[in-house]
Amino acid sequence: MKETKTELRFFNIMEYEKEQDYLRERHRQGWKLKATYPPGIYRFVRCQPEDVIYQLDYNPDGIKHKDEYVQLFQDCGWEYLFEFAGYSYFRKPAEEAQGDESIFCDDESRLEMVRRVFYGRMLPVLLIFICLILPQFADAVGQDEIASPFFILILILLALFLLVFCQFAWQYRRFSQGIHK
Amino acid sequence: MDAHIQKVYVPMTETSFYILLCLRHPSHGYGIVQRVKEMTDGEIVLSPGTMYGSLSKMEKDGLICFICEEEKRKIYQITDLGTEVLHLELRRIKRLYQNAQEAMQ
Repeated sequence: MKETKTELRFFNIMEYEKEQDYLRERHRQGWKLKATYPPGIYRFVRCQPEDVIYQLDYNPDGIKHKDEYVQLFQDCGWEYLFEFAGYSYFRKPAEEAQGDESIFCDDESRLEMVRRVFYGRMLPVLLIFICLILPQFADAVGQDEIASPFFILILILLALFLLVFCQFAWQYRRFSQGIHK
Repeated sequence: MDAHIQKVYVPMTETSFYILLCLRHPSHGYGIVQRVKEMTDGEIVLSPGTMYGSLSKMEKDGLICFICEEEKRKIYQITDLGTEVLHLELRRIKRLYQNAQEAMQ
């Protein structure tokens, strides 16, 4: 019987909750996460099927002060796995957790994390887009090259960005409504 | 006090309130988590992501300061500004409580 398996899954920067659910589901089936590689390769090792909560935190300051950051999570009973694409991965067996425990206990801090993702990841991409790609895009339109592969690639990237942006707006609204409820 | 600080911290989250309250004595993040658990009979368990984010933010805003590090745990203490903010918040909560008491009588 195979002891490891690899799966390819794409989660964008705002889909950390989906990713957490996916990892929990795999662990429940007896596959615990071992490593993650770009662009979206997940390596699992066979284990006893168990309900384990997975949590992702996006915190550049925490990564900079990794020792203290990881220590606090470990003190609170979370196992630190690794860091991937700016996210730190943690897990805790559900039976040791208090109900559906999360690494955040209020919507203010969930919103703060969404903000960190926005300023750390989405804003830089948006700026690159506006400063570098848009002028070339305008040129292509001017020269009637709208069927060129470059033009189509830009359109695809733009659509992807808009999708992530909508997901960001949705999460933002969800957590800020939670605060002002 | 900076108007911005007042706007951000009055009213403040339960986590921020307990952090300021506990840091009248030097402590680290997990120390605060344990202390709050005791104080509330296990009802409030602060989570590490929330705790780490709040401590960084409050240190940056000058409400608490870093004292030293012990076994990879950063020890903080409240500053004068933090004490001032805590008292403002306490005054708000007292008024809230008094008004509720009067209204319910």
